[in-house]
Amino acid sequence: MIQTVAFWILFLTFVGAFAAQVARRVQLIAAAPNTFSLDNLPFRATRFLTDVVLQVRTIRERPVAGLMHAFVFWGFVAFGGYTLVEFMYGLGVMDLTHAWWFELYRLLLAPFAIAVLIGISYLLVRRAFVRPIALGTHVSVESIVIALFITTLMITFLLTFRLDEGTRAAAVNWWVHAIVILAFLALIPASKHFHLVLSPVTVFLKSPELGNLPNLDFEKEQVGLETVKDLGSKMVLDAFTCVECGRCQVNCPAWGAGKELNPKAIILQTQEALLAGDREKKLGEVYSEKVLWQCTTCGACENQCPVGIEHLPVLIGSRRGLVSNGDAPDYLGAMYNNLERRSNIWGLGYDQRTKFVQSAALETFDATQHDVMVWLGCAGSFDADFQKSLRSLFEILRARNVKFGVLSKERCNGDPAKRTGNEYMFQELATANIADLKAAAPRKILTSCPHCVKTIGDDYRKFGYEVEIVHSSVFIEELTRDVIARARHADLSAETSTTVTFHDPCYLGRYAGKVDEPRNLLTRFGADIKEPVRNRDNPYCCGAGGGLLFADKEEEPGSRISDVRFKQLRETGANTVVTACPFCSIMLKGAQASAGADTQFVDLMTFVKERL
Amino acid sequence: MIVVIAEQRHGKLNRATWETIVGAQQLATATSTPIAVLVPGVNTAGVASELAAAQVQEVVTLEHAALEPYTPDGFTAALQEAVTQLQATYVLLPHTYQTRDFAPKLAARMDRALVTDVTGVKSGSGQTAFVRPMFQGKLTADVVPQGPAPHFITFQIGAYRVDQVAKGTAAAGVRALSIDLDASVIREKPEPPFQQAKQAVDLSQAERIVSVGRGIKEQANIAIAQQLADALGAEIAASRPICDAGWLPMERQVGSSGQTVAPKLYLALGISGAIQHLVGMKGSSTVVAINKDADAPIFEIADYGIVGDLFEIVPAIIEAVKA
Repeated sequence: MIQTVAFWILFLTFVGAFAAQVARRVQLIAAAPNTFSLDNLPFRATRFLTDVVLQVRTIRERPVAGLMHAFVFWGFVAFGGYTLVEFMYGLGVMDLTHAWWFELYRLLLAPFAIAVLIGISYLLVRRAFVRPIALGTHVSVESIVIALFITTLMITFLLTFRLDEGTRAAAVNWWVHAIVILAFLALIPASKHFHLVLSPVTVFLKSPELGNLPNLDFEKEQVGLETVKDLGSKMVLDAFTCVECGRCQVNCPAWGAGKELNPKAIILQTQEALLAGDREKKLGEVYSEKVLWQCTTCGACENQCPVGIEHLPVLIGSRRGLVSNGDAPDYLGAMYNNLERRSNIWGLGYDQRTKFVQSAALETFDATQHDVMVWLGCAGSFDADFQKSLRSLFEILRARNVKFGVLSKERCNGDPAKRTGNEYMFQELATANIADLKAAAPRKILTSCPHCVKTIGDDYRKFGYEVEIVHSSVFIEELTRDVIARARHADLSAETSTTVTFHDPCYLGRYAGKVDEPRNLLTRFGADIKEPVRNRDNPYCCGAGGGLLFADKEEEPGSRISDVRFKQLRETGANTVVTACPFCSIMLKGAQASAGADTQFVDLMTFVKERL
Repeated sequence: MIVVIAEQRHGKLNRATWETIVGAQQLATATSTPIAVLVPGVNTAGVASELAAAQVQEVVTLEHAALEPYTPDGFTAALQEAVTQLQATYVLLPHTYQTRDFAPKLAARMDRALVTDVTGVKSGSGQTAFVRPMFQGKLTADVVPQGPAPHFITFQIGAYRVDQVAKGTAAAGVRALSIDLDASVIREKPEPPFQQAKQAVDLSQAERIVSVGRGIKEQANIAIAQQLADALGAEIAASRPICDAGWLPMERQVGSSGQTVAPKLYLALGISGAIQHLVGMKGSSTVVAINKDADAPIFEIADYGIVGDLFEIVPAIIEAVKA
């Protein structure tokens, strides 16, 4: 009886401590503007299965540590019923500890307990002694305590098989187990272990679209995120969910090149600011303005996060707040001028696009005559270098009798404005382009620019404009499938095959998930691909995205992102780099020129054309 | 009387004033009206005697302590009186930032027409029209100002060439105009002018630029480009890789991450013409490109393209320039 009362007191104390801490965080989430969304439920359910239940995202990048984590996670889930039964017993509610199935359940738990022990020991050693940079610069004492708690829980559980019921030793063992669980509970909310509770919810609530940036509604005087109180409910949830694993950090190209930006720090600074309760604090001070402008919007942080955090809405949302207050860096002012006056990022006159359209003998798109509309984009309209690869694309299309046309007039799709936070300019460009596109009514748009794919495909949908837009690699891959047989018969010898490395553009590999199509094309046309580090759906950015094409600030610390990527590509040993995005091409060629290397660059379309 | 309002600061004439005088001379011929150049400010004697070289009827200085430093209130009050005294039919101004600041106020105060950013004068059939761009240069309009004189006209910078100014056989007369200016009408208290961080080299003002790219191959070869620059009286500049390599200082980099330049002559030596470079020099009047690669994008925007070895071509040009 005394034991039951004592347990009740302990139970209420610790559960109370847990509840009070949780309530504080729930209040902060509830107070934030509601940004939760539940669109595309089938996708969310599937992702919940892979990322939460099967721990795929946790294991994928760090197979060993990820699997050890999965052991601990699956063990936790398995022990749920056990803990419930033991607590009901301790609280004197109901004694099911002698039910026939409970014995069986315990026996089934034994292998789980051993797996948890193996997992947690590995993670403890990794955290305390190996200390990878992603986990932070100093050892977190609380993490060590929690790991020892988990170890204790498993050992005390396994001891129940050895200790005779009714003995003092068994009683002590039971109490240790129960008290550790309660202490653990009280520790959770204020620590990164809160992800135990929140991450399944956060993963489910994460947008199905990478880098989802809902339009600002100017009628409602939305200007982006200015202060802590503007952070949306999903952002607040994200801040408390962070498990501090540092996947976002180590995958961030800015951090990798030695810049100050660290996506993990952004999330933790959000958490700190929220708990400090200073709702009026400017986000430019919470994160530092400088850091906010170092993001290339490559999406690596968000895409690699195992607990469902969305970094881009915070980073770009804060940029929106800065731009609305006139606090954009100077180089963006020049670019915005170009966009405003000339509707393209270069500030060049559209007669140059017309010149190109005429010299390439392009027809004006007519839905009754053409199969597909080709969208040239800022690079295609003006960059003589990229126009060479477009001419290759046109040649392939003509060789395959694909009827295509272009708009008589294009504006920038608005990607550089959108991703640097100039939402007003983005919407101006987008609505004008959408009007032209609707009038031309293409069923399918083909472009060689992955940024155009993302913006016209995803961002324009938010204006109610739906169109199928595909990257040239995807279109031409499908168009040339008949070549497979030929390539096989050709018996490619060492002389005819070309060793290349392929740089996945972030907006193609990561955002659009098109990683096989460019590779199929390359191998189909005789390439031997040497994969660089960071490839496929987790490439290392070239440094151009998020408006940073124009930022080349000498005073910034670290290396250029493009130089880092170029080095990675060089290290494959391949002397030919194949690119599939005009901006990657510009950045990497710049890095090559600065490095004085003799690396050859070829756009995917030119590679195919030369071998068709 | 056609009155040209000269712009000067601390005794240094703004070159755009000469351009406006060219426009004024064209207008004077069309309308058979004499020209007076009005120089407002303090210590204007130097500028006035410089301007007296132009073929104009007279140069009039308008000195008042309240005109330094510049304030829109001070200029409006002073110029209203001066323009009235001179019985101006047209008041011509260079379309500078300062003009943009006070000219609308002055015209509105006098309730007279103002035509801004004019690029040319068209005369004939008894009326004079002023050409100005519209819709960001997509159209040009011929504007005939209505209502009583004087009409205020501001000329776009670069609309006329300074070297076309007609010089007089003898210096024009210089006289001073005295006005009553009540300093209490001036409400503005100007701060010292904003000084941009001093760049050691300001390529944006250079009239001729010799720019080198990777085609120069090694640092020692920069000397060849430097010789050409010296022969042409040009500034030397470079594309990004050259400055990255430290062959030339960063401040000489042209392009989206360096300086934006608009010289009369841009000589690109071994520059392939990546678009980030092109956007930094697209405003150049004449682009001459020398490159081994006939497919180099620089030839897309060059006015004169030479496909060949710059190490053969550049010495020949130096020779020719010196000859």
